Amino acid sequence: MSIKLGDTPYVERVQEGLHNDFMRQAVASAQGRFRSGKRKRAEELGNWEEWRSLGEEIRTHTLENIDYYLQQLSDQVAERGGNVYFAEIPEEANNYIRNVVKKKNGKKVAKTKSMVTEELGLNEALKKDDIDIVETDLGEWILQLDEDPPSHIVTPAIHKDKESIKRTFTEKRGYQKSDDPEELAAFAREQLRQEFLSADVGITGCNFAVAESGAITLVTNEGNAEMVTALPDTQITVMGMERLVPTWEEMEVLVSLLTRSAVGQNLTSYITAITGPRLEDEIDGPDDYHLVIVDNGRSNILGTEFQSALHCIRCAACINVCPVYRQVGGHAYGSIYPGPIGAVITPLLDGYEDHKELPYASSLCGACTEACPVKIPLHEQLIRHREIIVEREDLGSSSEKIAMQGYAQWASNPAAYKLSSKMARTALKPWTKGEKVTNGPGPLKGWTDTRDFPAPSKQSFRAWFKDRQKGGEV
Amino acid sequence: MKVSLFITCFCDLLAADVGKNTVELLEHVGCEVDFPEQQTCCGQPAFNSGYLQESKKAMKQMMKAFQYSKYVVGPSGSCVGMLKEYPKIFKDDPVWRDAAQDLADKSYEITQFLVDVLGITDVGSTFKGKVTYHPSCHMTRILGVREAPMKLLRNVKGIELIELPVKEDCCGFGGTFAVKEEALSTAMVEEKSRHVTETGAQYLVGGDMACLANIGGRMSREGKHVKIAHITEILNHH
Amino acid sequence: MAIKNRESFLNNLAANLGRPRRKQGVERPTWSFNPQQEVLKGFTQDDLVDVLEKQCDVIHTTFKKTDLAGLNDTLKETIENYGNSIIASNDSRNEEYGIGDLLSVMKQNNPDMEVHFWDSSKDKENQTFAERADIGLTFSDITLAESATVTLFNDKDNGRSISLLPKTYIAIIPKSTVVPRITQATEKIHKANQRGEKTPSFVSFISGPSNSADIEMNLIVGVHGPTMATYILVDDM
Repeated sequence: MSIKLGDTPYVERVQEGLHNDFMRQAVASAQGRFRSGKRKRAEELGNWEEWRSLGEEIRTHTLENIDYYLQQLSDQVAERGGNVYFAEIPEEANNYIRNVVKKKNGKKVAKTKSMVTEELGLNEALKKDDIDIVETDLGEWILQLDEDPPSHIVTPAIHKDKESIKRTFTEKRGYQKSDDPEELAAFAREQLRQEFLSADVGITGCNFAVAESGAITLVTNEGNAEMVTALPDTQITVMGMERLVPTWEEMEVLVSLLTRSAVGQNLTSYITAITGPRLEDEIDGPDDYHLVIVDNGRSNILGTEFQSALHCIRCAACINVCPVYRQVGGHAYGSIYPGPIGAVITPLLDGYEDHKELPYASSLCGACTEACPVKIPLHEQLIRHREIIVEREDLGSSSEKIAMQGYAQWASNPAAYKLSSKMARTALKPWTKGEKVTNGPGPLKGWTDTRDFPAPSKQSFRAWFKDRQKGGEV
Repeated sequence: MKVSLFITCFCDLLAADVGKNTVELLEHVGCEVDFPEQQTCCGQPAFNSGYLQESKKAMKQMMKAFQYSKYVVGPSGSCVGMLKEYPKIFKDDPVWRDAAQDLADKSYEITQFLVDVLGITDVGSTFKGKVTYHPSCHMTRILGVREAPMKLLRNVKGIELIELPVKEDCCGFGGTFAVKEEALSTAMVEEKSRHVTETGAQYLVGGDMACLANIGGRMSREGKHVKIAHITEILNHH
Repeated sequence: MAIKNRESFLNNLAANLGRPRRKQGVERPTWSFNPQQEVLKGFTQDDLVDVLEKQCDVIHTTFKKTDLAGLNDTLKETIENYGNSIIASNDSRNEEYGIGDLLSVMKQNNPDMEVHFWDSSKDKENQTFAERADIGLTFSDITLAESATVTLFNDKDNGRSISLLPKTYIAIIPKSTVVPRITQATEKIHKANQRGEKTPSFVSFISGPSNSADIEMNLIVGVHGPTMATYILVDDM
C-alpha cells in the first residue's frame, strides 16, 4: 500500500460509498458512540479547552524544535543499545527493514497497526522476500485476510459487517463457528497467539516517542502491541518523524488527549513504553532493537502554513464528527488517511495531482476544527488548499474561474448588485412554480436535481424598506 | 440605538421577509435601523472556493458600505461569521487592516445582538406550534453563538420546542458545496430531513436562511409538510 | 550502537524551518495551562480508592478490598475462581504479603495446582509457562485512580509476560500506591530520568482486561491479553 489507494476516480468512489448501506449505517452508529464517549470524558474534566490549549502548545513547541528532539531521542535509543535509522523516502525505510529481517534470517513478522508502515507499503516490500507478515490488530488482521484497505485510522475495519468477517475467516482460515463477534474474536485470539509465539521479528508503529529517555509509547486495547514487543527477539519500531514529545510528562498529556478523543476512554487497556533492547537478565523483549524514523514528505510541510497539520496525534476525532465521512466512509477519500485530516495531509504528503478533489469533500462546517484535541485549524487549511489548487496549481475548472471573476465584478459593484436584487424574481420566472424553483438553470441545476430552490420574494426587501421610509415614519 | 442592517445577499435576493422581520424586530426593541444601500455580499462564496483575490473585492465593498455604521446586525450566523474573519484575511494589508478590524468588531448576528449587546432574552413574541431548531454550523462554530437563539426561543409564548437529533451535523449546504458536491450534499440533507421528521415538528427554525432553504427544499421535494422559518419570523410574531 | 543518516536528515529539517540546526540549549517552556494537575486534586487516599473502585466497573475489572490479614483469603478465593496454574513475579513484597506461603499451601492441598515464580535463570521457560498459565499475578507499582490503571515497571524479576500471556490477571494493589492519575506516574519517571536513573526497558500501564471493538463496534472483552482481571486493594497504610 502507499498513501494513495487504487485508481478509482473520486466521483465513483463517492458513489460507491453512498450506495453502501451497511457501511453508512455502521459509520453513523459508530460516530454516535464515539461522539458521546468523547463528550462524556471531556465534560468530566470540566476544562477541556485548557487541555486542548496545552496539547496545542506542546505540539507547537516540539515541532518548532524537532531537529533537537530527534537528535536527543536517537542519542538515547543508541545509548540503550538500540539502532536508529533516519529514512527520508519509503525505499530507504523499507530496504533497511528488509535487511534487518534478512540478517536475522527471519521468516515471520508480527506487526501492530501502524499508519506510517501503510504509507511505506512495508508489507508489500517484505513480501518480495517471501516474508510472512501478520497484522495483529484484530481489525487490521481481518482486512489483511480480505485484502481490503483500512477505512478509518482507529477502527480500520469499520466498514465490514460480521457476516463478511465470518466469510473471510472461513475461506482463509477454516473457521467453522457463527458470526457472533465473541466467537469471531476468540478465533482470532487463538490464531494470532500462535503467530505471536512463532514470529522472528516484531514491527510496531509509534504513538509517541519520548525524547528524554528514548521510550516508545504504544497505545492499544487488545494487547497486541505488548505481544509483539515482548515475544520476538528482534524488534523494529517505525515512526513518522513528528510523533515525538520532549519528556514523559508531555507524553502523558497527549496520551490522555488521544484516548479520550479517539475512543472516549480515560486510558486504553494498554499503554506501553518500551526503551531499547531488553536489559541484562531480562527475558521478555528483544535483544536487537531498531528505531526507523521516517520523513516521507513531512519535512516539506515544516515552515509552511500547514505546519500545524503535523501536530496530528491520529485520534480520528475529526473523522468521528465529520458529516461527509459519515455519508461516504473512508474509502471514498482514496487515501489511507480519510476524513478531514486525510483531506488536509494527503495532498501535502502525496501531491495535489492525484488528490485535488479532497479539499472540496467538505462543507466547511468546522466540526473537525472544533473536535481536534490539538487545535489544528482543519477547515481553514482546506480553504488554503483550495486557494493553492486554483491559484498556484491551476487545477480549478475554467468555468468556475469565470464564474468567480463574474462574482467579484458583481459583489464589488453596488449598482450591478442592486439591479440583480431587483431582477431576481423576473430572471428566475421561467423556472418558477408557485414559490419554488424545481428545475433551475446553470449551476442551480446541481441544487434543483434533488431539492427545491426558493423563488425570490414578490416584493424585494429594498423596495419594502424604501416604501416604509417614504411612508413618513417620524 | 442606531443599527445598520446587513441583510446578506441570500435574503436580499431570495428571502426579503427575513430582512423585514429583522428590521421590525430591532425596531420593536427600540433600535433605529438604517440600511446602507452600497452593501453587497460578504465574499464567502469566493473565499471558501479558494478565490481569495476575487473574495477580497467583495469584502472591500462591504467595508466601504458599513464604514459609518455603529453596529452592523445581520440575520445570518454564517455571513456575520465571515465578517469576523476579515481581520485575519487583511492582517498584512496596511490599507484595509483597520477597516477590517472595525467591521469585525461592530458586527453581530441578530440573536447575538439581542442577547449579548442589548441584554434581551424575551422579545415578547407569541408563536403557537411545535418547533425544532437547527443550530447552523457557522453560527455555532465560527461565530460561537450557541445559547442566544435558544434563550430567545424558550421565552416565546405558546412555543413547543423539540430537540433535533444529531443537531450538530451540517445540513449539507456549505455554499458552493451544495452544487459542486451535489451527491454528498444531497446525502447529508436527506439525513437532516429524516431527523427533522423524527421530531414531529411543524416548523424547522434556524438562524441561517440558506441552510433552511436547503433542508426545506429537500423536504418539499420529498413531499413533507414541515415549514421552514427563520428565527426572526418566530421572534417577530405577535 | 549505530545511528544512520542522521545529519543530513536533521539538517534538512532545520533548513525547512528556516534556521540553523538546534543541537543544544532547547528548554521545555513553562506551559500556559496545567489542567492535568487539577484532576482529583485534594482527594484523600480513601477518596482515590473510591474513584478507583468505580472506574473498575467501567473497565470490566473485579475490584476487591482487604487488609494484610484478609489478603490470604481474598487472594485464595480469587485464584480458585480463575484456575490452577499461576505465574507470579519474583517480587520482594511476596514474602511481606504472605503470597509465597499462601501459594505453597494451596499447592500442597491441590495436586493439580502449578506455581511458577519468575526466574531469570530459567530463560524462556518463564514465557512457556506463562503462555499456558491460567493466572498471572503481580503487584502494582503505581496505581492510577482516574483510569483504574496498574503501572508495572518490568524488569528481570517481573517479566512483562506475566500480565500478558495467562488467561486471567490479578494485581495486588497496596493502597499506598494509589495516585490520582497517570500525571503522577510519568512525573516520577521523568524525575528519575533527570536524576540519571535508567528508565525500565518496559513500563506497562494496564487498565483491566484486553478488549476490542473492531467487529461492528461490539465491545469484546478479552482479545490478545487476559480475558478477565481482578484488582485486590490491600490496606498497607
